[in-house]
Amino acid sequence: MSADPNKLAIFVTSPQNMRHVIGLANAAEKAGKKPMVFFTYKSIHLTKDPRFKVLADKCGADNIAICADSYTCEGYDYIADVPAGLSASQMRTQAFHGALLDECGKYIVL
Amino acid sequence: MESLKVYILVANRMYTDGIRSGLGLAVENHYAFPVIMNGEFPSFSTYMSENIAWVKDMEGQVYSCGAPAPDACVDEDGDKLIAEITLEELGEAMRDADFIIPYGLSKQTNEPPPACAE
Amino acid sequence: MKILQVYRSEPNNDVKTLVGILNRDRDADEFNLNVENPDYDMLVSKIFAADKTVCWW
Repeated sequence: MSADPNKLAIFVTSPQNMRHVIGLANAAEKAGKKPMVFFTYKSIHLTKDPRFKVLADKCGADNIAICADSYTCEGYDYIADVPAGLSASQMRTQAFHGALLDECGKYIVL
Repeated sequence: MESLKVYILVANRMYTDGIRSGLGLAVENHYAFPVIMNGEFPSFSTYMSENIAWVKDMEGQVYSCGAPAPDACVDEDGDKLIAEITLEELGEAMRDADFIIPYGLSKQTNEPPPACAE
Repeated sequence: MKILQVYRSEPNNDVKTLVGILNRDRDADEFNLNVENPDYDMLVSKIFAADKTVCWW
């Protein structure tokens, strides 16, 4: 699969950039682009932000996921406490980050 | 699928998870180069050392930039698993990168308290 | 090669050195996220105009 020139990868590694994640995803959508987002390591705490579900609904199941190992390492239960807006199939591995690199024409880290 | 060259820069002691993230890309057939900046090394558990060795086995490399590579992370022959790179060498190397990922947070300006220093 | 440098905080000397090397002989642009109300529409436009984006801590 070649990268989609209209798709924007947002790789979230920091727990303090939710406003930028939301702002960029909204602006991308406004510009006719499709955001694809992966939260890893300590950024998974952002799943507890009430804005996360709105973001997840906007992105759709194929285009947003979090690192299940990170979620577990930070003390959450990835089976009994799936974040609002996600399903169990969106609790993923770092392979989802690989998918961001492969599928998205543009990429940013936050 | 094209193999991509990815540099992951770790500037903060709490974000050495960037090495695991690099390994995740290596097993997806990309070339991963996690870089520990200014001596912000992880604790070299067996898990961490194995990950660093695995990145190398997958044609990537964990680098130390701005501090000597630690003696605590070696292969079975006693050779250091982490290679040293200067800031200028890193900049030149990253000109060829497909992706550059400043990971997590920037370096803290204060010393960690005993509660989380180790 | 058009490269976009994005800053989430004030860049330190290491970042400035790396950016200087990465931007050499390239069409370089930048965007500062470290403001009260970033213009995300402009950032998206810059990202899609660039070949590569680096977003520093």
